[in-house]
Amino acid sequence: MSRRPRIRRPDELAAPPRFAGRIVDAELELLDRQVFDPDSVQVTTVDDLELTDVDAAHPDPDAPPEILCLLSGPVFGTRVFGGRPPESRFERVDWAHVARLTTAVALDVTAEVLDISWLERWFRDRVIARIPGGRHDPE
Amino acid sequence: MILSDLLGLRAYAADGEELGRVVDARFAIAGPEDHPLRTARMLGIIVSPRSHTSFMGYERTDVNSPALLARWFEHRGRGSFLVLWKDIASFGGGRMLLRPGAVLYSPKLEPQDG
Repeated sequence: MSRRPRIRRPDELAAPPRFAGRIVDAELELLDRQVFDPDSVQVTTVDDLELTDVDAAHPDPDAPPEILCLLSGPVFGTRVFGGRPPESRFERVDWAHVARLTTAVALDVTAEVLDISWLERWFRDRVIARIPGGRHDPE
Repeated sequence: MILSDLLGLRAYAADGEELGRVVDARFAIAGPEDHPLRTARMLGIIVSPRSHTSFMGYERTDVNSPALLARWFEHRGRGSFLVLWKDIASFGGGRMLLRPGAVLYSPKLEPQDG
């Protein structure tokens, strides 16, 4: 029978090193955060992060992975039962578009130009717009 | 690679001791003044010997309220530690192996602005 991992006392751990830049733990400050565009339109939520590829068998100690994209996709089932959705099921927002990290993620581009909002745009233009009164705000 | 490929892996020391599970990844975000978030580079991973997931991070911050929840979640996350990326020897197949001499750091987060 395998032993449970040992719990180390705080005095057994080295003092955390100091690094330049803003230090962020992904689970605490990125995953599941809402993503907004500059007009405060909600774009998506962060379901996962796409990282640069590394050789898992021999990771280069001097080339840690970097965040490439925010991912949004059907992750509920895989979080509960394990595994991961296929790549094709993820929608991506380039990390380069991230302007601010607070309690939400703010982008520097509008949702209109992102692929991730195509379904909403299509529905608005092809369905809602054909309903009488569907092209303007309620009066 | 996606972050979920790392989260949940069982971490092992070079001598085979099971250390816990990867519950989070720490990044350093930096860039020029006009785009301070340009690069988000992984510093390392957080391993927890007891919990399988990261929740609220009470064990990594000085937040201590609401007191009852803080004590419970801090207890669940006790013994967590940070392993730097350079100390990761390999990962895959549900396991992550650390290099010989890997240093286990306190996972505490320094308070930051913004």
